[in-house]
Amino acid sequence: MPVSREYIVKRLILLVVVVFGVLIITFIITRVIPAHPELLWAGAHPTEEQIEKAREQLHLNDPIYIQLLYYLRDFLVGDWGVSWRTRQPVLSDILSALPATLELVTTAFIIAIALGIPLGALAALKRNTWVDHVIRIVSVLGASVPVFWLALIFQLVFSSWLGILPGAKRVDEFIVLETGFKPITGFILLDSLLEGNFAVFVNALHHIILPAIVLAFYPFGLSARMTRAIMTEVLNELYTRSALAWGLPRRVVIYKYALKNTLAPVIASLGLSFGYTIIGAFMVELIFVWPGIGLYAAMALLSYDYPAIIGSIVLVAIFYTVINMIVDIIHAIIDPRVKL
Amino acid sequence: MIPEDIRVIFKLIKTNPVSMAGLVIVAAFLVVGLLAPFITPYPQDAWGDVYHLDQRYQPPSWAHPFGTDEMGRDMFSRVILGARFSLIIAVGVVGLALIIGIPIGLIAGYLGGKIGTTLMRITDMFLAFPPLLLAIALAATIGRGLTNTIIALAISWWPWYTRLIYVQVNSIKTLPYVDAARIVGVHPLAIMFRHILPNALTPVTVQAALDMGSAILEAAGLSFLGVGVTPPTPEWGLLVTEGWSSINIAWWISLFPGLAILITVLGFNLLADAVREAGDPRLRRILIVGRKL
Repeated sequence: MPVSREYIVKRLILLVVVVFGVLIITFIITRVIPAHPELLWAGAHPTEEQIEKAREQLHLNDPIYIQLLYYLRDFLVGDWGVSWRTRQPVLSDILSALPATLELVTTAFIIAIALGIPLGALAALKRNTWVDHVIRIVSVLGASVPVFWLALIFQLVFSSWLGILPGAKRVDEFIVLETGFKPITGFILLDSLLEGNFAVFVNALHHIILPAIVLAFYPFGLSARMTRAIMTEVLNELYTRSALAWGLPRRVVIYKYALKNTLAPVIASLGLSFGYTIIGAFMVELIFVWPGIGLYAAMALLSYDYPAIIGSIVLVAIFYTVINMIVDIIHAIIDPRVKL
Repeated sequence: MIPEDIRVIFKLIKTNPVSMAGLVIVAAFLVVGLLAPFITPYPQDAWGDVYHLDQRYQPPSWAHPFGTDEMGRDMFSRVILGARFSLIIAVGVVGLALIIGIPIGLIAGYLGGKIGTTLMRITDMFLAFPPLLLAIALAATIGRGLTNTIIALAISWWPWYTRLIYVQVNSIKTLPYVDAARIVGVHPLAIMFRHILPNALTPVTVQAALDMGSAILEAAGLSFLGVGVTPPTPEWGLLVTEGWSSINIAWWISLFPGLAILITVLGFNLLADAVREAGDPRLRRILIVGRKL
């Protein structure tokens, strides 16, 4: 057992503390900073009555610390307000949108890792040759490109002009109706495989390619650069050099010793890039009409649907903290040195 | 950072064509950003308060290298002036973030103890948000506009600089000259700001300068989500967004401002990459010795 229970408990306590901090900060932003919070929460064109109702719901007539307590209680019992756009409770809206986003982001990460680690390793082996330069430019491009612009251009070129891939939605409605597909978990790719419904699976796969590739650019660049940097370092360590001096084949040294040691830091960096990617999903989902949290939040922003905006932000922030904790624990399992 | 480091960085940049490209791009961006109002071919189009109904949706040509938009405005002029706004945003965001971040890191690092720990815990809370998310929440609360965009981004930006300064101050405050200053009775504030800060400043300012690319990228994201700058400001992200609805009949409206963001941010990132490699002592040793496996 490389990771002690103690370590995991410590991380869980830290998680609770951080989530509490996130809630405090959102409370300050949404209730303390605005001069009239009730106007923000009362919809785009509120009536007197709606404003008064919002004042009451937010307990604005109470002192600030009582407001905070109510805020925390509402959060814990799942009362995150009602969206002005969909007229549904924000929390249930968000939770029903979550699988679509997770499916998209997971696919993007699979693409990013599958390409980023081998190409980064290749760049380190061919340091300062044209191969290295090209891989470096492509990977830095991933961190430099405005993701919404890339999504627009990809949609225009591959969907509107070339017509090879669909440019909107997760799956075509008529195929769902024809085959009588019923989602179980909300992950269409997974559900269709479980049901053996290959028509829906292939259709959904076609739909996910464009948005997933666009989203994969940033984590791809990061994992490629990380792999390259650490691989360069590892290849110059004494142990790899002595392994070579002992006459071990280069191939064995690279794959068995060098590449293995790049894994832990690369995974840690991908945890950080998860946050960036999920924000990218806000924009990519809006463009590809992908019915996830991103589309929900982006629509809320464009229609001044304040409860929905804040709800999505709190959920994404908490999700991000949880992912980071999981990544930290995985990191500690792979590399026992990080256990501090 | 000491002059030797900067020499190493320049040596690295000179020997690497890709890093050199980064330096050239950043220099070009700064020049265009500073001169923008004087070099736009159609200044009125650039500022945005005109209609040319007979010139709508013109594809790229010699007269309009980047085409025209739905109001017949010259996109080339708009993109050139956009460099000025991107520069304002970039300098504003990292500048404000430094103003907030440095004193907090300095105080936390110098005082240490309970106050220091508390300040750093608060700082970490801000880092618990994914990038841009906090800025989105703030912008949705305080409203759109150039100043609000800068404020919203800076509020989510300063913790990085606080951490950098904190680490620096922690290593500097144990040096003998700081003890000496304390013993002769120099005021703690004077020790912090006059004696420690100048020696802790270089890494954070270099980092801030290189972060300007990310600031431009995130401001563009805010614009796209409808919580950034307001029209007719020719901010690049907003220009891309304005071209979205007509992208199937006039692709050039979105294409060129997006390319401008891409190239500028790429320049900053390539430069940042070069500096980071130079700053990594182990990697630098390899590079200076030139040993290859």
